[in-house]
Amino acid sequence: MTENKKYWKGEEDLVRDPSFIHSAKNEFSEGLPLEEVLSEDDFELSSNRRDFLKMFGFSVTAVALAACNKAPVRKAIPYLVKPNDVTPGVPNYYSSTCGYTGMPIEVKVREGRPIKVDGNGRCATFGGALSVAGQAGIFDLYDNERIKKPLRKGVDSDWATVDKEITTLLTKISAANGRIALVSNSIHSPSTLAVIEDLKTKYPTVEHINYDPISYHGLIEGNNLSFGKSVIPSYHFDKAKVIVSFGADFLGDWLTAEKFTKDYTSKRMPGDDMSQHIHFESNMSLTGSNADIRYPMQNKNQGMLLISLYNEIAKVTGSKQMAVAGQADVAGQGVSKTAKALIAAKGNSLVVCGSNNPQYQVIVNAINMALGNYASTININNPVNLYTGNDETFNSFVTDLTAGKIDGVLFYGANPVYSHPNGAQIKKALKSNVKLSVSSSISLDETSNSCQFVTPDHHYLESWCDYQPVGSTFTLGQPTISPVFDTRQMQESLLTWAGAIDAYSENTMKDNGIYGQEHSVSPFYNYIKSKWSVTDKEFNTYLHDGFVIKDTPTISVPGMIANTDEIASEIEKSKSAADGIEITLIEKTGMLGGVLSNNPLVQELPDPISKVTWHNYIALSKMNAVRLGINDNDVVNITVGETKMVLPAIVQPGQANGTASIHLGFGRTVAGKVAKGRGENAYALIQAGAKFNSYVVNGAKVEKTSTGETYELARTQTHHHIEGRDIVRETTLEDYKKDNRAGNRYEKPELVSLWYDHDYRKAGAPNHLWGMAIDMNKCTGCAACIVSCSIENNVPVVGEVEVRRRREMHWLRIDRYFTFNNVKDVNYKEELDAVSKMVPENFEPKKLTREKALEAIDRKLAKDENAGYEHFENVSVVHQPMMCQHCGSAPCETVCPVLATTHSTEGLNQMTYNRCIGTKYCGNNCPYKVRRFNWFRYNDNSAFDFHFSNDLGKMVINPDVTVRTRGVMEKCSFCVQRIQSAKLTAKRENRSLEDGDVKTACQKACPADAIVFGDLHDKESEVTKLFHNERGFAVLEELNVKPSVRYMTKVRNI
Amino acid sequence: MHQIDSKIRPRLIQGDKSITDVSNDICRPIENKATAAWKLGFGISLLFLALLGGTLFWTTWTGIGVWHLNNTVMWGWDITNFVFWVGIGHAGTLISAILLLFRQKWRMSINRSAEAMTIFAVMCAAVFPLFHMGRIWVGMYWVLPLPNAFGSLWVNFNSPLLWDVFAITTYFTVSLLFWYLGMIPDIATVRDRAKTKSRKFWYGFFSMGWNGSARSWHRYEIVSLILAGISTPLVLSVHTIVSMDFATSVVPGWHTTIFPPYFVAGAIFSGFGMVLTLLVIARKVMNYEDYITIGHLEAMAKVVMLTGTLVGIAYLTEFFIAAYSGVVYEQYAFINRATGPYWWAYATMMSCNLLAPQVFWFKWCRTTPWFLFMMSIIVNIGMWFERFVIIVTSLHREYLPSRWAMYVPSWVEVGIFLGTMGLFFTCFFLFAKFLPVINMSEVKSILKSRE
Repeated sequence: MTENKKYWKGEEDLVRDPSFIHSAKNEFSEGLPLEEVLSEDDFELSSNRRDFLKMFGFSVTAVALAACNKAPVRKAIPYLVKPNDVTPGVPNYYSSTCGYTGMPIEVKVREGRPIKVDGNGRCATFGGALSVAGQAGIFDLYDNERIKKPLRKGVDSDWATVDKEITTLLTKISAANGRIALVSNSIHSPSTLAVIEDLKTKYPTVEHINYDPISYHGLIEGNNLSFGKSVIPSYHFDKAKVIVSFGADFLGDWLTAEKFTKDYTSKRMPGDDMSQHIHFESNMSLTGSNADIRYPMQNKNQGMLLISLYNEIAKVTGSKQMAVAGQADVAGQGVSKTAKALIAAKGNSLVVCGSNNPQYQVIVNAINMALGNYASTININNPVNLYTGNDETFNSFVTDLTAGKIDGVLFYGANPVYSHPNGAQIKKALKSNVKLSVSSSISLDETSNSCQFVTPDHHYLESWCDYQPVGSTFTLGQPTISPVFDTRQMQESLLTWAGAIDAYSENTMKDNGIYGQEHSVSPFYNYIKSKWSVTDKEFNTYLHDGFVIKDTPTISVPGMIANTDEIASEIEKSKSAADGIEITLIEKTGMLGGVLSNNPLVQELPDPISKVTWHNYIALSKMNAVRLGINDNDVVNITVGETKMVLPAIVQPGQANGTASIHLGFGRTVAGKVAKGRGENAYALIQAGAKFNSYVVNGAKVEKTSTGETYELARTQTHHHIEGRDIVRETTLEDYKKDNRAGNRYEKPELVSLWYDHDYRKAGAPNHLWGMAIDMNKCTGCAACIVSCSIENNVPVVGEVEVRRRREMHWLRIDRYFTFNNVKDVNYKEELDAVSKMVPENFEPKKLTREKALEAIDRKLAKDENAGYEHFENVSVVHQPMMCQHCGSAPCETVCPVLATTHSTEGLNQMTYNRCIGTKYCGNNCPYKVRRFNWFRYNDNSAFDFHFSNDLGKMVINPDVTVRTRGVMEKCSFCVQRIQSAKLTAKRENRSLEDGDVKTACQKACPADAIVFGDLHDKESEVTKLFHNERGFAVLEELNVKPSVRYMTKVRNI
Repeated sequence: MHQIDSKIRPRLIQGDKSITDVSNDICRPIENKATAAWKLGFGISLLFLALLGGTLFWTTWTGIGVWHLNNTVMWGWDITNFVFWVGIGHAGTLISAILLLFRQKWRMSINRSAEAMTIFAVMCAAVFPLFHMGRIWVGMYWVLPLPNAFGSLWVNFNSPLLWDVFAITTYFTVSLLFWYLGMIPDIATVRDRAKTKSRKFWYGFFSMGWNGSARSWHRYEIVSLILAGISTPLVLSVHTIVSMDFATSVVPGWHTTIFPPYFVAGAIFSGFGMVLTLLVIARKVMNYEDYITIGHLEAMAKVVMLTGTLVGIAYLTEFFIAAYSGVVYEQYAFINRATGPYWWAYATMMSCNLLAPQVFWFKWCRTTPWFLFMMSIIVNIGMWFERFVIIVTSLHREYLPSRWAMYVPSWVEVGIFLGTMGLFFTCFFLFAKFLPVINMSEVKSILKSRE
């Protein structure tokens, strides 16, 4: 009976009162007096103690829970099973190839994340040079706006679906004999080209069209006309005694400029062997700024100047002159002087031309032929394959596309909707005329946005590939990270659509992990291996090295087949007679004509000449600007025929009178947040001719807007004159040969110091003493060092507004100064005399007088209105890299109240971020102004969402370098993390550090080898030798702050 | 006892005041209800004080990037305002300490308010070095002895910024003590006259049991003298050290040995300017014209003229030394001041500080209150610009022309400066309402009354 017993809790329970049963189900039967508490009108609570406790409990729990929710979750997940070849904290280096510039590279990988890319110095073909684009390209890997999965009609889809539909459509079109175009950026990968052949086998109507946003058609076609070879030859600037360039920015963006920089600077050491560089151009380019002699010219005269140059040479060599009426020349008899210099160096000279007009290139080839350069400085048998685009082919493709003659288009990396002058027509045709349009790009661009299917490609750091950038050299690209998103290499996509993927899908990776994880092998890896047909061992050796150099084809002189007379007369006839301003469209350093415009590092990199960031502009000559009443930052209307454009203007010293220039790569309409809507798209101004696309636009009208509005361009340097200060030293080769100290002969005042010299600075001290030497004869100002430094040291990108406020964070900057260089031609003798009278006869430091004189002349010239400001086109330039000078008696160190910046016993000026409270006195007291303050928190901040503010972007952060918070000062550390790591390596190997063990990021990146870093206590080190070089000087030496950086006097071969 | 008036020197206290009159007059604002004018002024000051709070919060919350300083000009309005306010403080100390030691009796009716001004000005000044720090929350550990887990926080005794911390805190402490000590007998007077309970309590508390005995007075006099002795070197040392913030640097235009005396002269100049500004108004509004007489104003005008001229000579000396030095950077720094993009600041400084005070050669100018008020404002403006010229025009074009830049303040920086004005006047209004503005006990000692 006991189990039937029922206990009741009270009378209510016994009688089963319905209201009691109802309330018994409800735990808080009385309800919480929340409303009473929350309504503020009555402070007298009627609740009792229990209510208070309930409320108290509720609030405490609620607050606690709410607080828990806000706590940031930071993941630091250790390896459960450590891969054999990954040691946390120790980087791995892999050889690969830069997908943007085709240069062999070394990728530094930390715990599975590639964090830095440097040139592969073992590859002799390129000597380890890597440009701004090559350095900065790594940021695109971690762009969280990349396309994350295949898109079908703009909507997320999956690979199976898009593959099925694309294959069906391809089959259908091909069966109906409809044309299918595969439009790619120039491909120089043998295996990729083989894949395209496979596609053509499957679909015979496929045609492959190479397209380059910046076309080298003129160069290729010129060689075709001249020698019947459609190639870009290899140029050897290291073998040329005299280099003449007509608008070819071969140190900036022309062809393999990084390699040319290496070759060019190897011949720039002062001495008998030093090359002479003569430059003709309209805009002030990086190359022009390095020229010994620079002649401003209008591009419309270029053809006639080339013919005249040829004729001048022919006159001397006795060969037949081209039949044209009259001679053309630039001010200062540039052509005849150049001809003389070239003849003197016959057989050891090099003439290059940047024009896209094939006819001009034929004349250039004829000049090189006449000088015998094809036997020495130009190797046409070892062609450069980086650019193979053909304007004629592409322009006829555009015509066919708009006429509806093409049924299917596959874009592979190419973005012609943006970068072709007829982009709008292409876009329209893609929307209406074609049955199939596919684009494979890594992030959404103007072209992929107009296509039915977007099949996102891997970034090159996620891909396998082989390349043949130059005839003799093959390089290999290998992935250094698993694909970040659901993307697929275009080669695999093509193989899939060609139905050929299965043959290569075998997983040859037998070596599964300890826990049996599956490692799969990319089919394209199998494909490359099968095409290379080498043994595994050989292939792995190639992969390890990153390149294979086959025998370089021997140089041979090709036979000229072009009728140069005919071409010369055509050039004479076609000379533009258009009035108005001539605009040259030029590349922005590192932007690759728009490929890298969404890269924050590239956007924030100041243009080497104008120092403008984040925007494009029209650069006008002073003469034109004054006549048009235009000042810096004025917004102007540009009209070329039907095309109109509105851009801010700057007055650019060195810009040839009557000309202007505009950067390409801006004005993206479909791109990531960095590039979108920034500047104007100057491709619209290109004139797409039947034979070639001209980057020179004649007859432009430039005028101020009627409202007189201005746009403040963000520039990192706003004062361009050196004010007669002894900051850079230079001399001429002539003077240098007489006296190695020429230009660097200073009476040094006896410097008195308040401070005792530190023991560790004294000769013979047992420690290292780090120092750096920068050769201003080698530095071209290319800015690769800035980008390398920024990536290595986690330097934040701060954006246009902050740069405009002069708050850019670059630890390394390149100062650039202009000076008028026609002093001899202008009669300002009275200034010189007046100045020399001020100085006693036997006053030794003559430099003072010369600088004062130049200063006086510059001032007079700058204000000379009678001269019509024409002389502003004729300036010389110096580039001076400037970073923390690691002063021995550093002014910054003494003023810091909290010892946040101190000196190490190895001569380094160190920042202790933890101690820094941000008084900024150190920054004020730095004579070199190299200290950078974190005005805001630049990382993890939506206001500065460039790359540090999202999880993916943070993956590029170098774990060896602290990310700085707001309110602290930072500056160049001489890459102290690299010094420490080299010291540890040496210690582990039980040896002392050797010269060259430590290479700073800027030094490693410098294609000119202008930066040398090392131990000043090592008597044999290269840097010590340079410190004792006759050309060596320290900037602001008279302050006696004992800087650890020395510069080498610039020697111009005038 | 019949009183003999000097023929050449008028009485220091006019209006034939008796001792009772003095107590009545000076306690009146404390004992009466606040006037409408006081309420209005106090209200406006509070608004500006709120602006200070808001702008400082915004700065600390977002980062000092909201100021428009840049990587070339890293100090701008912040340090300009700091030096401006510290400078203003100096007149108070000079009047109370040095003039006490020199037994200048005319100081007696103005020293209290001048000292109050010193304290409030130093409070305003302290805002800037604190909040110009990038990380004030870390900086506090150095400035204040807070317990922390950072380990040893050894400071850099080479840094003038550290000397600054010591100089300013010492200055503030001594000034506060001196001011408070001098007030004790007067607070006791208010206590004795008090009718309400709270007033009795608070004034009683703060008078520290003052009983007016001969022994108390004796101690009081001795301590006053000692404190005056301590304060006197401070008049010279504080601004000397502030000037070393600049003089010990390598910045052309800062790196000058003339700075210490030049800054001290400038500080006294600006301090007297500010005292004039305050007292010309206060004597009118509070009916203290008999206590703060034209004679006082004239004496201060003379000091203004003297120190203004001293400062002017310093300006010219700087130019001469720059030219004579042969250092191009130094020369350019000064040419740039006068003819560069900030020439207007330099022109303002020169005309306000060197030229304008020369009008005080004329008696009318020294003795006309409204004119003096106008001049005092000009002096204040001029001295603010002097600091702006020294700081900004030196920094914006330094050694390497590639880094030359311009600096224009943001609204936040302007807001903080206006906000410190709010802080200053809020404090001053409170002082005028709750504490005796004139030193009653001392003034009574110089009455030549009928009694």
